[in-house]
Amino acid sequence: MKLSPVSQGVYKIQNGTSALVTYNSVKGKNVYGEKLIEFHGDEYREWNPKRSKVAAMLMKKFKIPLVKSSKVLYLGASTGTTVSHISDIVTEGIVYSVEFSPRPMRELIKLCEMRSNIIPLLADASNPSSYSAIVENVDIIIQDIAQPNQAEIALLNSDKYLKPGGYLVLSIKARSIDTVENPKKIYKSEMNKLLNSSSCCFELVKKSELAPYHKDHLAIVAKAES
Amino acid sequence: MKETSKYPSWFGSLLLDENNELEDTVLHIKDIQFLAETLKDYIFTKPKMNFTGRNLSEEAIKCGFVNSKEEYYSLLHQVSVKTVKLQLAEMEQSDLKIIQAINALDDIDKSANELSERLAEWYGIHFPEIELFGDELAYFISKHGVRKNIGANDNYFNLAESSMGISFNDEDEDIITEYSFNILSLYATRRKIELYIHEQMDIVAPNLSNIAGYLLGARMISIAGSLEKLAKMPSSTIQVIGANKALFKHLRSKATSPKHGIIFNHPTIKGSSWRHRGKISRSLASTVSIAARVDFYSSETILNDDLAQQLEAKIKSIKKL
Repeated sequence: MKLSPVSQGVYKIQNGTSALVTYNSVKGKNVYGEKLIEFHGDEYREWNPKRSKVAAMLMKKFKIPLVKSSKVLYLGASTGTTVSHISDIVTEGIVYSVEFSPRPMRELIKLCEMRSNIIPLLADASNPSSYSAIVENVDIIIQDIAQPNQAEIALLNSDKYLKPGGYLVLSIKARSIDTVENPKKIYKSEMNKLLNSSSCCFELVKKSELAPYHKDHLAIVAKAES
Repeated sequence: MKETSKYPSWFGSLLLDENNELEDTVLHIKDIQFLAETLKDYIFTKPKMNFTGRNLSEEAIKCGFVNSKEEYYSLLHQVSVKTVKLQLAEMEQSDLKIIQAINALDDIDKSANELSERLAEWYGIHFPEIELFGDELAYFISKHGVRKNIGANDNYFNLAESSMGISFNDEDEDIITEYSFNILSLYATRRKIELYIHEQMDIVAPNLSNIAGYLLGARMISIAGSLEKLAKMPSSTIQVIGANKALFKHLRSKATSPKHGIIFNHPTIKGSSWRHRGKISRSLASTVSIAARVDFYSSETILNDDLAQQLEAKIKSIKKL
């Protein structure tokens, strides 16, 4: 077995097949049925790129600027599949996890009780002022929400909470913006909205489709002007 | 004159000067329950304000609310978890219960059917001449058991006497009556759930159930996700919910648009000729959407008979065409 770092806190374990893993900060507990892997006395959790867009981005050679002390705003946390791995990475930081739907929030809250660096927020991401009493300025905003107006939501939140020089990581799900239109066209118009907005100035770092892990998804990493 | 503004945070109000610099603070008491409830009430008002984000953790230390970063985050974690729990507990959930009930009804239908089929096969070995199905067969078996217990004045006596089925001993009889009792109780639960949906729909969405019928109305709420979502849908969407496959085929290729989705199960559409179905489902869908809005948005939900009468008149005029 061989362990090689991919980015801070994220490793690749090679044992015949290779798998993306993060160091498990709550030993012995898995979150969503993922495999736990022992390596030299440490425990790692497998991070499936088919279930998590951030993992898929890492497989696609994206550089995700997450470090130990990062403050993260995660929009669209759902049941916490990806959030749990982010919480593994930012051991000295904090993850503000926004989720609007009560059903997945019930699962997320169980996760939050085990991991003290996840702050749950039951709120609507399209109204950032509804959580302004809690969320502070952050280093990185990760957005994974399937809404037709997801570009606007990303801009609204970056305008309020993203530090100068911070990063915006998001995936555009073409099928949730328009079920019929050609995905390429949708990507183009959404990119336009993001990069040519009046409220925030972004510089594109990398973009790529997430195939074969996710169909009709475009992942984007952009840096805010400092 | 100096202009100050207030920034509400979870640990207190921050008073800011014209440059958005921290001037003064009004701190809350450091009690998790109190902080969580205050925060929940504040979020409940759906605040909309213009602001720029702040470094709350540093400011909380600066104003002396907490002594260290560790303390800030551990307190914030406890407060936010508590707040979300309070929020979840206070959610309006009456339509969620209806959704679960209608889905349970569908599940029971599916499994009761499967179990009844098995029962018919099983009992068919012993008494193939009997022509009962479903709950009737289950009731028959739980009452009589094997063939020889059928009394002389029963309708099935003659058939049982001359049956070509193989004989069942006591053990066989025990297990099959036990099985049929279970099926019977499943059917009884189904009737109870149906009654429950009827009662709940009368409370939550009386107008919707008056127009669409309580089971169809409940199904619509279930597919839409909640009564709120159904109330916000345009009637053209309501007309085709449940016909996803046909709708997307229409949108993607040149297939014709679906006339009706789940709304087809309404007796006025099912019972009319195909020429009228499109028009009727259109007017029914628009009436349903009005009914759902009345139910969701009006402060008191009272039954409005006008809607049903208007719909009836409309359908009559359509059928004359």
